[in-house]
Amino acid sequence: MDSVIFKANGVSYSYPGGLRALFRVDAAVNRGEKVGIIGANGSGKSTFLQLLDGLIFAESGEVSFCGRRLSEKEFEDPVFSAGFRRRVGFVFQNSEIQLFCPTAKEDILFGPLQLGLPREDTLRRVDRLVEILRIGNLLERAPYRLSIGEKRKIAIVSVLAINPEVLILDEPTAGLDPATSRSIIDLLLAENRAGKTIITATQDLHIVEEISDRVYVFGGEKTVVKSGTPEVILEDTSLLGANNLLHVHSHRHQGKAHVHPHAGIEHHLDDLG
Amino acid sequence: MKSGNFIERSLFGMSSFLRESVFSDECALKKGFLQSLDPRAKIAGFFLLIIQTVLARDINTVFLLYSLCLLFIVFSKINLAFFLKRTWIFIPVFSLFIALPALLAPGEPLFSWKLPGITFVITRQGLGGAGIFVARVIACVSFAVALSLTTRHAALLKSLRVFKIPQVFIMILGMCYRYIYLFAEIIRDIYLAVKSRIGAGVEYRKGQELAAWNISALWERSVKTNEDVYRAMLSRGYRGEALAWEEFKIKARDYLWLLGVGLILWIA
Repeated sequence: MDSVIFKANGVSYSYPGGLRALFRVDAAVNRGEKVGIIGANGSGKSTFLQLLDGLIFAESGEVSFCGRRLSEKEFEDPVFSAGFRRRVGFVFQNSEIQLFCPTAKEDILFGPLQLGLPREDTLRRVDRLVEILRIGNLLERAPYRLSIGEKRKIAIVSVLAINPEVLILDEPTAGLDPATSRSIIDLLLAENRAGKTIITATQDLHIVEEISDRVYVFGGEKTVVKSGTPEVILEDTSLLGANNLLHVHSHRHQGKAHVHPHAGIEHHLDDLG
Repeated sequence: MKSGNFIERSLFGMSSFLRESVFSDECALKKGFLQSLDPRAKIAGFFLLIIQTVLARDINTVFLLYSLCLLFIVFSKINLAFFLKRTWIFIPVFSLFIALPALLAPGEPLFSWKLPGITFVITRQGLGGAGIFVARVIACVSFAVALSLTTRHAALLKSLRVFKIPQVFIMILGMCYRYIYLFAEIIRDIYLAVKSRIGAGVEYRKGQELAAWNISALWERSVKTNEDVYRAMLSRGYRGEALAWEEFKIKARDYLWLLGVGLILWIA
């Protein structure tokens, strides 16, 4: 069996109006791999993930899944479409749009129902996920009555309920408190150990090493500027700085002021508060 | 919120009305009589009771049905004063303007008063007709409010399938409610953001510009949300045919309820 599950060759994409979103992106994802996609805001990470999930299609170049080119025509084939959706799950950055049903439970069961998955298997899987994330008390709630972290958990469970082979996540820990982030990362790592391929777009460099075997860095030119192991990428501070993923600031440790590069802005929130 | 201008009061009022009336499941989650019934049996029962109320010719029958509704409310552990307030607020809207002219129908005069150039005569027949009309409205509105208060919003939507309403319509209805709330919150936040920057006092002309800008921004956002939600549905296997997860179970209690409603209809 071919180990490459997704392959992007020279993929470009523009939004209506001609605004460029991606430019000649090359990338590959192997079966069972953890792939991190990092980049500043507007670097094209979300667009790339939507291309992988067959929600939009390349303007030039091609994205293939298990050797089959993803195109609108392919998705018109109900067998391919259902098979692809069954194998690839996508967690959107904005949980608000992913939770469109009247209750969290209905949202979780939406995917399995549309894909005709066996009822008993689905309920068993959902029960397990609900127990792991401790969200049993949220199931009958309407989405607008959930916090951001709770919505994110429900959105992830709504995709994992399908039990896909590949899990694509767009900024799964953005805006979450540390405990919720941790529980989500632990769940993703467990799913990867169980054999799932995990593709995660993030700006949170603290989690990159854990959630990636390989990292793609997207730059301001809307293309991949570097790829490699997380160790190699995270050591390249000049690359990260040039792509707005690190900044240099001064702060105090044990009474001594010093200057060093930092990822993210979370450590500034206390100053702002 | 008592202070603030008309727009502010309207926005906050709309948001809290949606939260409290449409989306609140507080009453539906109580362990009472109506809450214990299967939503489908409850809808069918209330539908029949409403039909009976509309067809009733005797005002005493209508009041009997209304009393029964209030009894259901008491057994469903809902505060009676709260229920009366919730129902009576609709009565003038639905009945007053129609019932007033009916008072003046031809017949045996009861009261009359003169205004320059015109004489109003309230007749016995007119009073009787208007009375039974208002009584029917009171009873029907009460049954409808009792149903919506004691049934979770989501379950109520799902149960509409009893009437063979297509699932895709029910799904769209559910999504409308879901996103109306989201947009109501966005409007409120936009208003607060504007207020935080320019203060409470906005010149009339500027206020119009801001309102127009808000409407256009919200329209764009709703179009974007529409596209995103559709993609989220596609991503989880939606192919244009909505399916529903059936979870309701009819119990002996539900059959008893339907039997009881049948008995009431027979007596009435």
